[in-house]
Amino acid sequence: MTVGPSRGRRYVMLLLLLCGFSIILFRLVTLQVLQAADLTAKADRQHQKTVTFEGARGMVLDRHGKVLAMNVEVPSVFGVPTSLESPATVARHLSPVLQIRSSELERKLRQDKSFVWLARKVEPEQGRRLEQLSLEGIGVVMEGRRFYPKGPLLAHVLGFSGMDGQGLEGLERRYDSHLHGEKRVTVLQRDALGRTVFPKGLAEQAPTPGHALTLTVDEVIQYIAEKELEEAVTHTHAKSGTIIVMEPQSGAILAMAVSPRFDPNVVAALTPDRWRNRALTDTYEPGSTMKAMVAAAALEEKVMMPDSMVFGENGQMVIANTTIHDHDKLGWMTFSEVIQKSSNIGAAKTGMALGEQRLYHYLQAFGFGQRTEIDLPGEVNGFLKAPKDWGRRSLASISMGQEIGVTPLQMVSAVATLANGGVMMKPYVVSEVRDQKGRLLREVRSQVKRRVVSPNTARIITTMLEGVVTNGTGTKAAIPGFRVAGKTGTAQKIDPRTGAYSSTQFVGSFVGYVPAESPRLAMIVVLDEPQGEAWGGAVAAPVFRRVGEQVLNYLGVSKDDTVKIALAMKDH
Amino acid sequence: MKTVTIVAGVLLVFVFVWERVDVVRLGYQIERLKTQKVLLERERDQLQVKFSALTAPERIAKVATEKLGLIPPQQGQVLMVHQPGEAPSLLLPPVEQVRLAKRDSIGRESE
Repeated sequence: MTVGPSRGRRYVMLLLLLCGFSIILFRLVTLQVLQAADLTAKADRQHQKTVTFEGARGMVLDRHGKVLAMNVEVPSVFGVPTSLESPATVARHLSPVLQIRSSELERKLRQDKSFVWLARKVEPEQGRRLEQLSLEGIGVVMEGRRFYPKGPLLAHVLGFSGMDGQGLEGLERRYDSHLHGEKRVTVLQRDALGRTVFPKGLAEQAPTPGHALTLTVDEVIQYIAEKELEEAVTHTHAKSGTIIVMEPQSGAILAMAVSPRFDPNVVAALTPDRWRNRALTDTYEPGSTMKAMVAAAALEEKVMMPDSMVFGENGQMVIANTTIHDHDKLGWMTFSEVIQKSSNIGAAKTGMALGEQRLYHYLQAFGFGQRTEIDLPGEVNGFLKAPKDWGRRSLASISMGQEIGVTPLQMVSAVATLANGGVMMKPYVVSEVRDQKGRLLREVRSQVKRRVVSPNTARIITTMLEGVVTNGTGTKAAIPGFRVAGKTGTAQKIDPRTGAYSSTQFVGSFVGYVPAESPRLAMIVVLDEPQGEAWGGAVAAPVFRRVGEQVLNYLGVSKDDTVKIALAMKDH
Repeated sequence: MKTVTIVAGVLLVFVFVWERVDVVRLGYQIERLKTQKVLLERERDQLQVKFSALTAPERIAKVATEKLGLIPPQQGQVLMVHQPGEAPSLLLPPVEQVRLAKRDSIGRESE
């Protein structure tokens, strides 16, 4: 029996097999263990695509439930480049429907990707036409698009959101955590033929939508304010303008109008300058409107009484080597007349009677130099120096509304404090937050900030401010049948070239409340750089009257002289 | 006895099969209705946006003044009417007052 050669062959075969299996085993270990992570990731990149879908943003409603912003599902078009045989042909078919250049679509479709967006949030009609075309490798998925159905109405407060549904400005930004919908990440797979497989009913399974906001704003009052502001800005050729209407008892903002306006549906071509909410981001030297607060402080501290006599120095007074002027050569006058006639010298003397510390204390108490903490983004502090930084003229200047920077919102909040019996309320624009089923998640109640002056002081200053409208600088703010309390303001702007007060650039304003005996509205009208006659009493007071009259009518507030007709319907 | 058992068994099988078929059928129906609901909600939202745009005060004012030739009420043309014992409703805008008034009148008619 010869076994030698045969056994030798077996060993050789065994050795060869061992070598072969060792190589396979080595390769397997390399692929499955050593390079496993890299290769898995590479494979995933090739046959998986992660797409994030977000639930519809919540609606924004006015105080009566009128829709100001809402999402509507519209088609978004995507392509699967890896499954296309002829990207050029597909691009040619798509181009007229999507109104995008064929070359641009082809460039996207030639990318080595399993998913590319071709057009996001297009019109429903375009989506329907695409479905009719039924192009291989092109799909449509529904996405939420933000609509602002009222166009520019309240745009500066609402702000706007981005393409991916993130809040970028205004309430959209401030309340983004409430408004944005649930995010759902979906992993899309490719099948054996390389086609993208979408989970069944992807378009129908919308993630949970965001919460809805109800505002304190009334769309009709907002419209009245915007309409009148636009007319005033056009008529006076002002650079910009602001109107804020507020409920003094609660701090609820009824309207916040800013000019120039913008349409939040079309913001791509606009600059931030256009959508900035000037009512709370821009400061101005208020001028004479500040005298209302200085007078209230003087009354509260009893350094002045309405009938206290003040000498007007015949229209000129030298303080710290500079001369303060009044527009008229005023002599002796009562403190009430100081406010009525808006005497700078009278205001300066009132400030001096109060002294630096007390004046500063009251200005702070009225909210100047600090944010009102309204629930809108971008609010600034304004500008109020501490007494240690005041110059020799500061006491007089600040008393007549210079050397101090305020926002229109700060000023209307301060005057609303006088309207509210001396109690300052926190301004707010969102009153309720509800989930998608209408369940109340958060209710905002009016919030007292502090008492600034006594009810008696508030009552006296109201009478004095009524005098401004009946006999003083603000007669054009008078609303027939109603008692109006208010103050005019005309402030020279600082010329940035010279650093001195300009003789041609002014801010004209009027701030007040109505009906004076039981205020329903506190309102400020600010016009920046009106041309021609720039007095607040001439440019802003008439706007106050027009807005006030329409809003009071709308709210059904009775006039003093209204004949109340008793309808004894139930008796019949 | 044996026959009865067999018949009962067959019936049970039929019931089971029928139940399974019906579950599948209802499943399809639910899916179809879900899809229909989503489509209807989408249509509702589109109509809501259209409605909101059409009822914008700016548009209504434009139509009223330019198409219908209306003008805002002038001084002295607005008269507030209040029922006896009722304080002027300061909190409600006119539209709400009209709604309340209508509700009241319906109540009276049914009495």
